[in-house]
Amino acid sequence: MLIALFTILLLGGSLTGMLDFIVDAQDTVKVVMEKDDRRKEVLATLKETKKRTEAHNKMVKGTSKGMNTILSSDEVTDADFDAIWDAYFAQRAAYNQDMLDLRYQLKDQMTREEWQQVFAGD
Amino acid sequence: MNQLFMRPAGALLCIAVASLVVACAKDDVAPVDVEKQAFEDLRTEIVVAITDPVREAETIRLVGVLEEDLAALRTNIAARKIHVRELNANYDAPRAEFEAYLAGVEAEVRDHKRRVSETHRALLANMTAEERSAIAKTHTKAMNAAIKTIQSI
Repeated sequence: MLIALFTILLLGGSLTGMLDFIVDAQDTVKVVMEKDDRRKEVLATLKETKKRTEAHNKMVKGTSKGMNTILSSDEVTDADFDAIWDAYFAQRAAYNQDMLDLRYQLKDQMTREEWQQVFAGD
Repeated sequence: MNQLFMRPAGALLCIAVASLVVACAKDDVAPVDVEKQAFEDLRTEIVVAITDPVREAETIRLVGVLEEDLAALRTNIAARKIHVRELNANYDAPRAEFEAYLAGVEAEVRDHKRRVSETHRALLANMTAEERSAIAKTHTKAMNAAIKTIQSI
Protein backbone atom coordinates (compact mmCIF):
# COMPACT_ATOMS: atom_id res chain seq x y z
CA MET A 1 0.00 0.00 0.00
CA LEU A 2 2.77 2.42 0.79
CA ILE A 3 4.17 2.07 -2.71
CA ALA A 4 0.74 2.87 -4.09
CA LEU A 5 0.59 5.98 -1.93
CA PHE A 6 4.03 7.11 -2.98
CA THR A 7 3.10 6.43 -6.57
CA ILE A 8 0.30 8.91 -6.03
CA LEU A 9 2.81 11.41 -4.74
CA LEU A 10 5.29 10.78 -7.53
CA LEU A 11 3.14 10.19 -10.56
CA GLY A 12 -0.27 11.41 -9.53
CA GLY A 13 0.46 15.04 -10.11
CA SER A 14 1.72 16.38 -6.85
CA LEU A 15 5.34 15.85 -7.72
CA THR A 16 5.28 16.14 -11.47
CA GLY A 17 6.56 19.36 -12.94
CA MET A 18 4.46 22.42 -12.39
CA LEU A 19 5.33 24.06 -15.72
CA ASP A 20 4.88 21.02 -17.96
CA PHE A 21 1.84 22.54 -19.64
CA ILE A 22 4.00 25.10 -21.47
CA VAL A 23 5.02 22.46 -24.01
CA ASP A 24 1.39 22.21 -25.11
CA ALA A 25 1.62 25.73 -26.57
CA GLN A 26 3.23 24.56 -29.79
CA ASP A 27 0.05 24.37 -31.87
CA THR A 28 -1.26 27.71 -30.62
CA VAL A 29 2.07 29.37 -31.38
CA LYS A 30 1.81 28.14 -34.97
CA VAL A 31 -1.60 29.83 -35.25
CA VAL A 32 -0.75 33.04 -33.41
CA MET A 33 2.71 33.81 -34.80
CA GLU A 34 3.66 34.49 -38.37
CA LYS A 35 5.86 31.95 -40.05
CA ASP A 36 9.25 33.62 -39.74
CA ASP A 37 12.58 33.26 -37.96
CA ARG A 38 11.18 34.48 -34.67
CA ARG A 39 8.51 31.80 -34.68
CA LYS A 40 11.18 29.28 -35.53
CA GLU A 41 13.09 30.35 -32.40
CA VAL A 42 9.98 30.06 -30.23
CA LEU A 43 9.25 26.57 -31.55
CA ALA A 44 12.85 25.57 -30.93
CA THR A 45 12.53 26.70 -27.31
CA LEU A 46 9.30 24.74 -26.94
CA LYS A 47 11.01 21.71 -28.41
CA GLU A 48 13.79 22.08 -25.85
CA THR A 49 11.17 22.43 -23.11
CA LYS A 50 9.52 19.21 -24.24
CA LYS A 51 12.85 17.41 -24.27
CA ARG A 52 13.60 18.58 -20.72
CA THR A 53 10.16 17.51 -19.52
CA GLU A 54 10.55 14.09 -21.07
CA ALA A 55 13.88 13.65 -19.34
CA HIS A 56 12.30 14.65 -16.04
CA ASN A 57 9.41 12.23 -16.51
CA LYS A 58 11.90 9.45 -17.23
CA MET A 59 13.65 10.30 -13.97
CA VAL A 60 10.34 10.17 -12.08
CA LYS A 61 9.61 6.72 -13.46
CA GLY A 62 13.12 5.61 -12.53
CA THR A 63 12.63 6.88 -8.99
CA SER A 64 9.36 5.01 -8.72
CA LYS A 65 11.06 1.85 -9.95
CA GLY A 66 13.95 2.35 -7.53
CA MET A 67 11.52 2.83 -4.68
CA ASN A 68 9.73 -0.34 -5.67
CA THR A 69 12.99 -2.27 -5.65
CA ILE A 70 14.21 -0.94 -2.34
CA LEU A 71 10.87 -1.45 -0.61
CA SER A 72 10.87 -5.05 -1.76
CA SER A 73 14.11 -5.68 0.10
CA ASP A 74 14.10 -7.06 3.62
CA GLU A 75 17.16 -5.00 4.42
CA VAL A 76 15.65 -1.61 3.67
CA THR A 77 16.45 1.16 6.15
CA ASP A 78 15.10 4.65 6.72
CA ALA A 79 18.38 5.98 5.33
CA ASP A 80 17.97 4.02 2.09
CA PHE A 81 14.50 5.33 1.67
CA ASP A 82 15.38 8.93 2.52
CA ALA A 83 18.27 8.81 0.05
CA ILE A 84 15.87 8.08 -2.79
CA TRP A 85 13.60 10.94 -1.80
CA ASP A 86 16.48 13.39 -1.32
CA ALA A 87 17.85 12.54 -4.75
CA TYR A 88 14.39 12.96 -6.19
CA PHE A 89 13.82 16.36 -4.61
CA ALA A 90 17.24 17.59 -5.77
CA GLN A 91 16.53 16.57 -9.36
CA ARG A 92 13.09 18.07 -9.20
CA ALA A 93 14.50 21.39 -8.00
CA ALA A 94 16.96 21.39 -10.91
CA TYR A 95 14.12 20.63 -13.29
CA ASN A 96 12.04 23.52 -11.98
CA GLN A 97 14.98 25.90 -12.44
CA ASP A 98 15.54 24.69 -16.01
CA MET A 99 11.86 25.08 -16.80
CA LEU A 100 11.89 28.62 -15.43
CA ASP A 101 14.95 29.42 -17.57
CA LEU A 102 13.08 28.16 -20.61
CA ARG A 103 9.90 30.00 -19.64
CA TYR A 104 11.76 33.33 -19.50
CA GLN A 105 13.67 32.53 -22.69
CA LEU A 106 10.31 32.00 -24.37
CA LYS A 107 8.97 35.22 -22.93
CA ASP A 108 11.92 37.14 -24.39
CA GLN A 109 11.18 35.64 -27.81
CA MET A 110 7.50 36.62 -27.83
CA THR A 111 5.65 39.92 -27.70
CA ARG A 112 3.24 40.68 -24.88
CA GLU A 113 0.31 40.33 -27.29
CA GLU A 114 1.48 36.96 -28.55
CA TRP A 115 1.98 35.75 -24.99
CA GLN A 116 -1.55 36.78 -24.09
CA GLN A 117 -2.99 34.94 -27.06
CA VAL A 118 -1.04 31.78 -26.37
CA PHE A 119 -1.30 31.56 -22.58
CA ALA A 120 -4.14 33.81 -21.37
CA GLY A 121 -6.66 31.05 -22.07
CA ASP A 122 -4.90 28.81 -19.57
CA MET B 1 11.42 0.44 8.69
CA ASN B 2 10.80 -3.12 7.62
CA GLN B 3 7.62 -3.01 9.58
CA LEU B 4 6.38 -0.52 7.06
CA PHE B 5 6.70 -2.97 4.26
CA MET B 6 5.47 -6.21 5.63
CA ARG B 7 3.79 -7.17 2.40
CA PRO B 8 6.26 -6.55 -0.39
CA ALA B 9 4.37 -8.87 -2.74
CA GLY B 10 1.20 -6.93 -2.15
CA ALA B 11 3.07 -3.71 -2.61
CA LEU B 12 4.46 -4.91 -5.93
CA LEU B 13 0.96 -5.78 -6.97
CA CYS B 14 -0.15 -2.26 -6.08
CA ILE B 15 2.28 -0.66 -8.48
CA ALA B 16 1.43 -3.08 -11.27
CA VAL B 17 -2.29 -2.77 -10.87
CA ALA B 18 -2.14 1.00 -10.53
CA SER B 19 -1.39 1.52 -14.20
CA LEU B 20 -3.96 -1.04 -15.26
CA VAL B 21 -6.67 0.62 -13.25
CA VAL B 22 -6.15 3.85 -15.11
CA ALA B 23 -6.83 2.13 -18.41
CA CYS B 24 -9.55 -0.21 -17.25
CA ALA B 25 -11.70 1.86 -14.92
CA LYS B 26 -15.25 2.40 -16.05
CA ASP B 27 -15.77 5.66 -17.88
CA ASP B 28 -19.33 6.11 -16.72
CA VAL B 29 -18.47 6.40 -13.02
CA ALA B 30 -16.67 9.45 -11.72
CA PRO B 31 -13.23 8.51 -10.32
CA VAL B 32 -14.03 10.24 -7.05
CA ASP B 33 -17.09 8.00 -6.63
CA VAL B 34 -15.03 4.89 -7.37
CA GLU B 35 -12.57 5.98 -4.70
CA LYS B 36 -15.33 6.65 -2.20
CA GLN B 37 -16.82 3.22 -2.75
CA ALA B 38 -13.40 1.56 -2.53
CA PHE B 39 -12.78 3.12 0.87
CA GLU B 40 -16.23 2.08 2.02
CA ASP B 41 -15.45 -1.50 0.97
CA LEU B 42 -12.18 -1.29 2.87
CA ARG B 43 -13.97 -0.22 6.04
CA THR B 44 -16.42 -3.08 5.66
CA GLU B 45 -13.57 -5.59 5.34
CA ILE B 46 -11.79 -4.14 8.36
CA VAL B 47 -14.93 -4.61 10.44
CA VAL B 48 -15.03 -8.26 9.35
CA ALA B 49 -11.29 -8.91 9.73
CA ILE B 50 -10.61 -7.23 13.09
CA THR B 51 -12.58 -8.67 15.98
CA ASP B 52 -11.06 -6.48 18.69
CA PRO B 53 -13.40 -3.45 18.86
CA VAL B 54 -10.72 -1.05 20.09
CA ARG B 55 -8.27 -1.89 17.30
CA GLU B 56 -11.09 -1.99 14.79
CA ALA B 57 -12.19 1.54 15.69
CA GLU B 58 -8.60 2.82 15.55
CA THR B 59 -7.97 1.18 12.18
CA ILE B 60 -11.16 2.68 10.76
CA ARG B 61 -10.07 6.06 12.09
CA LEU B 62 -6.64 5.75 10.44
CA VAL B 63 -8.22 4.80 7.12
CA GLY B 64 -10.28 7.97 7.46
CA VAL B 65 -7.10 9.97 8.03
CA LEU B 66 -5.56 8.52 4.88
CA GLU B 67 -8.71 9.23 2.92
CA GLU B 68 -8.73 12.82 4.14
CA ASP B 69 -5.07 13.22 3.25
CA LEU B 70 -5.75 12.00 -0.26
CA ALA B 71 -8.74 14.31 -0.62
CA ALA B 72 -6.59 17.23 0.55
CA LEU B 73 -3.89 16.23 -1.93
CA ARG B 74 -6.47 16.16 -4.73
CA THR B 75 -7.69 19.65 -3.83
CA ASN B 76 -4.16 20.98 -3.56
CA ILE B 77 -3.11 19.59 -6.94
CA ALA B 78 -6.10 21.17 -8.66
CA ALA B 79 -5.44 24.52 -6.97
CA ARG B 80 -1.71 24.43 -7.79
CA LYS B 81 -2.37 23.74 -11.44
CA ILE B 82 -4.74 26.69 -11.71
CA HIS B 83 -2.43 29.03 -9.82
CA VAL B 84 0.72 28.24 -11.80
CA ARG B 85 -1.14 28.67 -15.09
CA GLU B 86 -2.44 32.05 -13.93
CA LEU B 87 1.05 33.05 -12.90
CA ASN B 88 2.47 31.99 -16.24
CA ALA B 89 -0.24 33.85 -18.15
CA ASN B 90 1.07 37.08 -16.64
CA TYR B 91 3.74 38.24 -19.11
CA ASP B 92 5.37 40.37 -16.41
CA ALA B 93 5.34 37.80 -13.60
CA PRO B 94 8.66 38.13 -11.78
CA ARG B 95 10.81 35.02 -11.59
CA ALA B 96 11.03 35.44 -7.81
CA GLU B 97 7.29 34.94 -7.60
CA PHE B 98 7.54 31.63 -9.46
CA GLU B 99 10.44 30.50 -7.30
CA ALA B 100 8.62 31.35 -4.07
CA TYR B 101 5.56 29.49 -5.22
CA LEU B 102 7.49 26.39 -6.27
CA ALA B 103 9.36 26.39 -2.96
CA GLY B 104 6.02 26.45 -1.17
CA VAL B 105 4.78 23.49 -3.19
CA GLU B 106 7.98 21.62 -2.40
CA ALA B 107 7.54 22.12 1.33
CA GLU B 108 3.94 21.02 1.09
CA VAL B 109 4.86 17.83 -0.76
CA ARG B 110 7.55 16.93 1.79
CA ASP B 111 5.04 17.43 4.58
CA HIS B 112 2.50 15.28 2.79
CA LYS B 113 5.03 12.49 2.32
CA ARG B 114 5.84 12.60 6.05
CA ARG B 115 2.18 12.45 7.08
CA VAL B 116 1.38 9.58 4.72
CA SER B 117 4.34 7.59 6.07
CA GLU B 118 3.32 8.16 9.67
CA THR B 119 -0.31 7.22 9.14
CA HIS B 120 0.63 4.14 7.17
CA ARG B 121 3.09 3.06 9.86
CA ALA B 122 0.37 3.42 12.51
CA LEU B 123 -2.15 1.55 10.37
CA LEU B 124 0.14 -1.45 9.92
CA ALA B 125 1.17 -1.48 13.55
CA ASN B 126 -2.48 -1.62 14.53
CA MET B 127 -3.19 -4.88 12.68
CA THR B 128 -1.93 -8.44 12.92
CA ALA B 129 -0.33 -10.15 9.93
CA GLU B 130 -3.50 -12.18 9.40
CA GLU B 131 -5.69 -9.10 9.47
CA ARG B 132 -3.44 -7.30 7.01
CA SER B 133 -3.60 -10.29 4.74
CA ALA B 134 -7.39 -10.41 4.98
CA ILE B 135 -7.85 -6.83 3.79
CA ALA B 136 -4.93 -6.71 1.34
CA LYS B 137 -6.96 -6.90 -1.86
CA THR B 138 -9.51 -4.30 -0.82
CA HIS B 139 -6.71 -2.14 0.48
CA THR B 140 -5.01 -2.20 -2.89
CA LYS B 141 -8.29 -1.46 -4.64
CA ALA B 142 -8.86 1.61 -2.48
CA MET B 143 -5.40 2.97 -3.14
CA ASN B 144 -5.67 2.36 -6.86
CA ALA B 145 -9.00 4.15 -6.87
CA ALA B 146 -7.32 7.09 -5.20
CA ILE B 147 -4.58 7.10 -7.84
CA LYS B 148 -7.18 7.09 -10.58
CA THR B 149 -9.00 10.02 -8.99
CA ILE B 150 -5.88 12.11 -8.67
CA GLN B 151 -4.73 11.33 -12.20
CA SER B 152 -8.08 12.47 -13.51
CA ILE B 153 -7.48 16.05 -12.31
